[in-house]
Amino acid sequence: MLITIAWRNIWRNKRRTLITSGSVFFAIILAVIMRSSTDGVYEGMIENVVSFSSGYIQVHQKGYWEERSIENAMKINTNLLSKFEKQEGVSKCTARLESFALASGNGKTKGMAFIGIEPAKEQMLNGLANKISKGRYLMSENDNGIVLGEGLANYFKIKPGDSLVLISQGYHAASAAAIFPVRGILSLGSPQLNDNLAYISLHQAQQFLSADSLCTSVSFYLSNVKKLDPVANSLRSAFSNLPIEVMTWKEMMPEMDQFITADKSGHLIIIGILYLVISFGLYGTVLMMTYERRHEFGILVSIGMKKSKLITLVFFETMFVAFFGALLGMITSFGIILYFVFYPIRFSGKLKEVYVQFGIEPVINMSLSSNIFYYQALIIFLLALAVTIYPSFKIFKLKPVEAMRS
Amino acid sequence: MGKTVIDAHNISKIYDKDKIPVYAIQDVHLHIEAGEFTAIVGPSGSGKSTLLNIIGGLDSPSYGNVILDGTDITALSENELINFRLNNIGFVFQAFNLVPVLTSKENISFVMLLQKKSKEERNKRAEDLLIEVGLKDKMDSRPGELSGGQQQRVGVARALASRPKIILADEPTANLDSVSAANLLDLMLKLNKEENMTFIFSTHDQRVIDKARRVVTLVDGKITSDVTR
Ligand SMILES: Nc1ncnc2c1ncn2[C@@H]1O[C@H](COP(=O)(O)OP(=O)(O)OP(=O)(O)O)[C@@H](O)[C@H]1O
Ligand SMILES: [Mg+2]
Repeated sequence: MLITIAWRNIWRNKRRTLITSGSVFFAIILAVIMRSSTDGVYEGMIENVVSFSSGYIQVHQKGYWEERSIENAMKINTNLLSKFEKQEGVSKCTARLESFALASGNGKTKGMAFIGIEPAKEQMLNGLANKISKGRYLMSENDNGIVLGEGLANYFKIKPGDSLVLISQGYHAASAAAIFPVRGILSLGSPQLNDNLAYISLHQAQQFLSADSLCTSVSFYLSNVKKLDPVANSLRSAFSNLPIEVMTWKEMMPEMDQFITADKSGHLIIIGILYLVISFGLYGTVLMMTYERRHEFGILVSIGMKKSKLITLVFFETMFVAFFGALLGMITSFGIILYFVFYPIRFSGKLKEVYVQFGIEPVINMSLSSNIFYYQALIIFLLALAVTIYPSFKIFKLKPVEAMRS
Repeated sequence: MGKTVIDAHNISKIYDKDKIPVYAIQDVHLHIEAGEFTAIVGPSGSGKSTLLNIIGGLDSPSYGNVILDGTDITALSENELINFRLNNIGFVFQAFNLVPVLTSKENISFVMLLQKKSKEERNKRAEDLLIEVGLKDKMDSRPGELSGGQQQRVGVARALASRPKIILADEPTANLDSVSAANLLDLMLKLNKEENMTFIFSTHDQRVIDKARRVVTLVDGKITSDVTR
């Protein structure tokens, strides 16, 4: 009955309720879409950049990150790799040997990065082979071919079946030059990678650079991405006897992490202001709703209604006003997001350039993470709770005789 | 007569108006027995409302105490008092007695819900009471769809719903025309006779006073006459 009364009460002043829940409605839509698009963009960005370049965590020889040279490569063997993989929270890890080379083909020359990979593992971890747009992926450790980013391929105007010459400096200054048949072209998410990166097999890279059983990094993939720091810390303590360094992608790419954090906190401020505005609206409505009913409250307490029940009633009313808007807002924004999940917005022009600069795909990918919705619902609930504090206090102090005189 | 329902001892209510004390009521003794039908009369400002509020536990006296059916209500805590009012006293106020978003039947039912009565009992009694006050066909009307007189009848029905020991009504006819006022009084008299319900009400209206069996007159917060006819 309390619920019935609360529901009917909020419609006593239809316009006021509609305006108030309308403001909640629009605020929710804005907040959800904002969170969804930023989360989506960042999820995509991290996925693209992190999984195709660094992995979530990397282990290197101590000092490698400071001076990224083949001279600082670390010794690796299958035994150590499987020890790494047995660590809590680690799903898989793979060794890579990366360096730079001068590439030439079709009469053109360009500096680029290359990574020696374990083809099968890499495929398992980030589905690299699925990014092949032309030709094929590396068959095995013994495949002596190369696959390269679309941008690079366009630059050299080469296609699968052609070949590319790489010149580099090997381990202990050994000279390195070799010719690699092009197996496939990759369409990598990040434009930066697309224009500068090629893959060969780890084994070929070790031979090419005279770096037998060496790798520059071991990349880790996690069973739960959110456990980044705990896993890194447990790796650090478990292998403290080895001359290695353990780094998370946030440590390796601080600009990207800072960019995300700064952008997110900017959005948080906007959302915070949005909620401040709607909580004032809600507060005003609830205050009016209780104030203009002082006489009625006086009667209810007189005839034997406990004040705690009355406070509950007011709380229900606040909840109804807030959640009426919030629920509609969530349903609507869910629909909007769903649409953009299927038809993502692609940027063009200046905005595109900015995104490309940061290594982000110029696409707004929306996130449909249910967390976003829980979070909004929780905020609205807490707002409704906060907004009823003062009216509750008023009811608590209400004297029926005085209330009825008004 | 019947047993004692109200025993008000020596009650005074003093308002500190700018340090000059105002006695809203002063040294009032009032003894009411079950089944009485009592009017409290007197000029405006004589303390009628103050007296009724104190008897009903809505206001506390500055001195003295009120024993209602054996319970000293001046000694109860706020929540005990709310509960006591719920189960022992029915109130009819001057106007706007009802919850506007509830129908007549729901308004009556609501009191019994607060008493945690079963749904069947609530429905049955609400219907019986509405028939009794002559509003059989207004069960599902909200207060806004009823006339002032009809609203007061629902108010009386609601006051009865909790099966109280006593019904207190502060100027229940003040907002009614004379015909509706007379009808309401006749209804109260009928309930007084048929259900032996004890009524205390205040009024200005001479025609209403004429129907009372006992008339207590207040002047300047003191009882100046107490006549039973
Ligand atoms: N809250 C208050 N503060 C100060 N004085 C008050 C207060 N309530 C009542 N009084 C005073 O107490 C006296 C009695 O008031 P009360 O309302 O009981 O009179 P009443 O007989 O019901 O009058 P009416 O017929 O106009 O309703 C009056 O002098 C009034 O001014
Ligand atoms: Mg009065």
